[in-house]
Amino acid sequence: MQDLNFKVQRYNPDKDNSPHMQEFTVPFKKGMSVLDGLLYIKENLDNTLAFRSSCRMGICGSCGMLINNLPRLACHTPVEELETYKIEVKSLPNYPIIKDLVPKIDVLFEKHKSVKPYLIREDNENLERPETELYQSVEQLDSFMQFSYCIKCGLCMSACPTVATDRLFLGPQPLAQGYRYCADSRDEAGKERFEIVDTPHGIWLCHMAGACSEACPKGLDPAFAIQLFKRMLVSQSLGIRKQPKSAPAIQPPKTSKPKIAVPELTVK
Amino acid sequence: MQAINSKNRNLPNNLGIKGWVWAGRYTWERYLYTLHRLTGLGLLLFITIHLGINGTRIWGASSWEDAMDILETPAFKVGEYLVVAAFIFHALNGGRLILQHMAYTLGKPKAPIYPYVDAMRQNRLLMWAVLFVIVVLAIFALVLFVI
Amino acid sequence: MKETRLKILQYVSGIAIFIVAGFHILYSHFLKEDVTEWNSIADRAADNWWLAFYVLLLIFGLYHGLHGLRTIILEYFSISNSTVKVLDYVFIIAGLAILGYGTYIPVEAL
Repeated sequence: MQDLNFKVQRYNPDKDNSPHMQEFTVPFKKGMSVLDGLLYIKENLDNTLAFRSSCRMGICGSCGMLINNLPRLACHTPVEELETYKIEVKSLPNYPIIKDLVPKIDVLFEKHKSVKPYLIREDNENLERPETELYQSVEQLDSFMQFSYCIKCGLCMSACPTVATDRLFLGPQPLAQGYRYCADSRDEAGKERFEIVDTPHGIWLCHMAGACSEACPKGLDPAFAIQLFKRMLVSQSLGIRKQPKSAPAIQPPKTSKPKIAVPELTVK
Repeated sequence: MQAINSKNRNLPNNLGIKGWVWAGRYTWERYLYTLHRLTGLGLLLFITIHLGINGTRIWGASSWEDAMDILETPAFKVGEYLVVAAFIFHALNGGRLILQHMAYTLGKPKAPIYPYVDAMRQNRLLMWAVLFVIVVLAIFALVLFVI
Repeated sequence: MKETRLKILQYVSGIAIFIVAGFHILYSHFLKEDVTEWNSIADRAADNWWLAFYVLLLIFGLYHGLHGLRTIILEYFSISNSTVKVLDYVFIIAGLAILGYGTYIPVEAL
């Protein structure tokens, strides 16, 4: 099979004023991903190439890049899926570039923190030192479970057209995570998050272009979460929202199930 | 943790207004959003021109007749049709947007099982139906204009 | 919840424009023959129901259009939350001014 032509964006803050593209030829191996190609370049062709990667299996979210004009995880993109020999790799858009293919994604984490992505209950003491369980049925879990798979890779923020111009806009990831906590029946701070999200640069600058869901590598569908959040806000504003009951605290079961008879294997 | 280069030479990399128009290979809904914005701005421009032209009434019948004569020129006739087409698109796409913003046609959250199909893609049928009605009405309006 | 209320009005005015402007386009372009004749317009301006119809269309259209423009300006210029109040006042004044102008013309030009 033909060798691959990698066009990689290079930017050295000490030397360059603007980024430029550099071409490399990488031999093709069946089943390789774009990350494998970049690692080959770094090991054999140019060891000054800088990029982030860690788990190489699409779960840590480090290797987000713009590959052939779509934001994707480099480890999660098989070269054969791109159906071309020419592969163009650039740094993730809508984040400042530190060097080469390394974006500065601090802004994602700050916006995520601002939306209070943790359970808040009136009796915080119980959350800190729990002595009871919080009961949640399977239906209640299913209503937000899909949105809890976020790996904070930041691809959705690159895809969003509003994030492209507005640096104050919260973005699909914080908004989807805000919904994930508002929809969680164990949480009691829905109204606090409504105030955070219902601002001039909050949820209503989302115009449902759907690109964030298209780019999400874990199938989270942040666009769907945001529309559900909008429905919550509108029904709250019109006063027709059914106030959900908070998850009750129940005592854990006192008797435990009988243990399976496993032979004692430790040497005495 | 502070960056090593304290002069902060991080290169800004926002797509800017180009990110509204074209940012990569995305789906139909992404570009319908751009068209919705363009038609909205076009209709706003039309309202200002319309109010301006109708405002010539205040100066009497002769200035009104002059304004009406300007409107008969071919450029304005084409513009008139574009306004009607933009109105049809903006209104019907807006109807689809209202339905989807209130999460009415998007289904229920379900566990993501590969290959992922997001709610917008599941709604593709609604989008095609709306586009079909828009095109039919736009052609109908064109026929009525030409006759 | 101010932004949510504004957005609900945007949806409501959008639907209202669809109905009222839809009727306006159908009537002006296809149903009535000499709609741009001076006398034809003078007759409609003298009729209170027609006047109310046009003023209603102007109110809905102005609100919907100016709110859309506000959204675009907020996005493009990243206006900070404190400056948004000033922008809102500018839009309210501009909207009321155009509404006044649009109501004055048919009443005065009889």
